[in-house]
Amino acid sequence: MIVFFQIIFSLFALMAVGSVWKKSHEGLLGAKGTVFWILFWVLAATAVWWPKSTTILANTFGIGRGADLILYISLAVIFYILFKLNVKIEGLSRGVTKLVREKALREVEKK
Amino acid sequence: MLVAVVPAFNEEKTIGSVVRSLFSQVDKVIVVDDFSGDDTLKMAVEAGASVLHHEINCGQGAALQTGHELAVQLGADYVVDFDADEQFDVEDIKPAVLAMQKAGADFLFGSRFLGEKLPMPLSKRYIMLPLARMVNRLFAGIKLTDGHNGFRILGRQALEKIIITQDRMAHNTEIPAQIKKYNLKYLEFPIKVVYREYGQGILGGLKVLGDLIMGKFVK
Repeated sequence: MIVFFQIIFSLFALMAVGSVWKKSHEGLLGAKGTVFWILFWVLAATAVWWPKSTTILANTFGIGRGADLILYISLAVIFYILFKLNVKIEGLSRGVTKLVREKALREVEKK
Repeated sequence: MLVAVVPAFNEEKTIGSVVRSLFSQVDKVIVVDDFSGDDTLKMAVEAGASVLHHEINCGQGAALQTGHELAVQLGADYVVDFDADEQFDVEDIKPAVLAMQKAGADFLFGSRFLGEKLPMPLSKRYIMLPLARMVNRLFAGIKLTDGHNGFRILGRQALEKIIITQDRMAHNTEIPAQIKKYNLKYLEFPIKVVYREYGQGILGGLKVLGDLIMGKFVK
């Protein structure tokens, strides 16, 4: 059963790497992004085929289980993404306000 | 020229009388209708105000900035920010402008704590306003006797320098921060406020804090 999951995950990771490579060739992804995402999927596949590797890494940080380390890192990344999204939304909202203001001022000039 | 800027959102019941009473004190009244769902716009026009209309609801800070920009275009020497809900007293405007001129100040903050003791909800007096003053001091670096009071007067220099980027209620802290940044001369002046509704509660205060923190990261 575990081997089945590992094979499925590896196929998925391969497809993901292929997609990253394609986007990089099309110029949609920069060099840094390409290296990051390929490294990410290689590490994820390593962790799936060699589960103890995450535990070894977790132990070096004083965390008991590899799964816990992944959970903590995931939470930190999700919070960071949420924060970045909020900043982006606030920026967009201010842009919209500027447009609304310009239109309101133009309308009053016409009168 | 003395101009009043009144941001308004769903204030059809009070906006007409506020505009009419303002005309006894100022040369021009600008109402910024922030996408009201009622007849605020119509009432303001009927009362004789110059009305700007936001096509979506942007917030009080955004509405004030829109009004200020029109006031600059009209050549205003002084702009008084005035609430649309009849909380403020128009009789405070002229003495406040005189005090500004006498002190040579660029900016005037209305204060509920300098004159006679005004009736206000206890939680506001002892919890919300001390917190607002603390936030102002922390983010703006200016010590004021009042926090988040909407009555303020801008001289021409302040009007040209201060650009409100906080669309919602955090502009009440952003403005003192810009006063400090541009080294504008300011004073506080006692005003009267009659409470018709509570205003910002704890949740509103937390939102202001969130907006101020977020504002540090938005370019």
